[in-house]
Amino acid sequence: MFPAYQLVEAAVRFEEVTVERGGISILDRVTATAPKGSSTAIIGPNGAGKTTLLLALLGEISYQGRIHLNGNGRAPRIGYVPQRLTFDRGMPLTVAEFLAMGFQKKPLWFGIDTTLQRRAREALALVRAEHLADRAVGALSGGELQRVLLALALRQEPDLLVLDEPSAGVDFQGELIFCELLDDLRRDRGFTLLMVSHDLATVTHHATHVICLNRKVAAEGPPRQTLTDDNLTAIFGMHMGLVNSRSMPGDRTVCSASCCQERPDA
Amino acid sequence: MPDLSPFYGLLAALLPFDCLQARFMQQALAGLLLLAPMTAVMGIIVVNFRMSFFADAISHSAFAGVALGLLLALDPEWTMPAFGLLVGVGIMAMQRSSRLSSDTVIGVFFSAMVAFGLAIVSRDRSLARDLQRFLYGDILTIGDGQILALMGLFLTLMTFQALSYNHLLYIGLNPALARAHRVRVAVQQYMFTGLLALIVMFAVQAVGVLLVTALLIVPAAAARNFARSAGSMFWWSLLISLSSAVAGLLLSAQDWARTATGATVILVACGWFGVSMAAAGLRREQPV
Repeated sequence: MFPAYQLVEAAVRFEEVTVERGGISILDRVTATAPKGSSTAIIGPNGAGKTTLLLALLGEISYQGRIHLNGNGRAPRIGYVPQRLTFDRGMPLTVAEFLAMGFQKKPLWFGIDTTLQRRAREALALVRAEHLADRAVGALSGGELQRVLLALALRQEPDLLVLDEPSAGVDFQGELIFCELLDDLRRDRGFTLLMVSHDLATVTHHATHVICLNRKVAAEGPPRQTLTDDNLTAIFGMHMGLVNSRSMPGDRTVCSASCCQERPDA
Repeated sequence: MPDLSPFYGLLAALLPFDCLQARFMQQALAGLLLLAPMTAVMGIIVVNFRMSFFADAISHSAFAGVALGLLLALDPEWTMPAFGLLVGVGIMAMQRSSRLSSDTVIGVFFSAMVAFGLAIVSRDRSLARDLQRFLYGDILTIGDGQILALMGLFLTLMTFQALSYNHLLYIGLNPALARAHRVRVAVQQYMFTGLLALIVMFAVQAVGVLLVTALLIVPAAAARNFARSAGSMFWWSLLISLSSAVAGLLLSAQDWARTATGATVILVACGWFGVSMAAAGLRREQPV
């Protein structure tokens, strides 16, 4: 029996996506799907082309092949949380301004609209970071910045939320809370989550669909069927042992996310 | 051409200094009051985009623009901004399409422009005298035609900034993030570059090729030290730029000073920068 998500439409469909740089193949005819409403994790070792695939999706690099985005007849809204935001930390910019500048037409010289200020605080509250609103963006720690970037992505009410190594540098009282938070938000808002990670335990715990990538797609499907010893050995190039897709990161034994409550058999 | 005398009269009435009673001083004040807000707001983006070298390259293309005008028997006051615009858009196009680093692309353009200007000037030594005034600039020779052109540029640029300031900040922070947020990065970058090239060319006439970058960078850099938000950085930059322009003009006209106006304006702005550094240092020392 196929899981329900295989019957629904694709949010993203990569078709024969190839990326070459200086004669070196980074992605080789990648064909894969992120089902609509799913939490899709792209996994693979360092240098597998995971981030490159995301950058191709975002239109940041040129590629051969096709990438279909399903936005129900309109251009889908994409929220993007990069792995690392390289920016000038000396720039005087508050978190509230950062969350408003993509939405507000009136220049920031005249302050932030009351409505946008309220929405910025609501978005920060979603990621448990409302206390950061008046802080300078350049003064945030890595984990705080990741939360603010997630709040910004959520403010865009995305159809597709793209995260590059979401747990890298996150200090969300442990990575688990971050995954739980994303999972709850995805279910509440109905967006598709597409994330890249090499952290198998954390990501696959909440993923409903996995794409195993090492320049080519080695396997794709539900975590329990896809993360087999053979597939993992194929993409990581060594014996990884069978990954339990319900395994918990660190010493955690309990997951409070709704996905776990609804699928106790998993 | 419309008569600007009432405008100059108003400026003289608002700032009743003896030295501002001469018409050329009123014209210089008008020119600086139009130029300063534009360089203040553009400077913020230049600093955020790390484009000071770009502004330098445009200003140095002034030589080539003037030389080309003199060579083709066209008015250098118009060939210079036109050439600057062309160079600015050319640099942006190459930066976007080439894998070379930004400073390498600008460096190539910079060298080409200076070499081209010098090559033309070397053919005719008399041209060197004309070029000298662009090297040092002289706001005191600004005419009504240039002031009217500055007014047009002021309206265009301030409208553009009012519409695009937030998006330009976004691009300055991270272009990929801005693109994902449906900001039209390329359009904004080209429009910003074009306007920056024009403003640099007008500023060259005020403070000269050697100091034009300072007019953009110093007020914005000082504003960074004072400001705690992007909104307040704008007002600080405007305050520093305008006060430096007016104070520089007045100081340079004093009998005891008799200095070049452009250089004096920049020195006042640098004084502001020194104060801003001290203020930033004090803020860091304060316990949180």
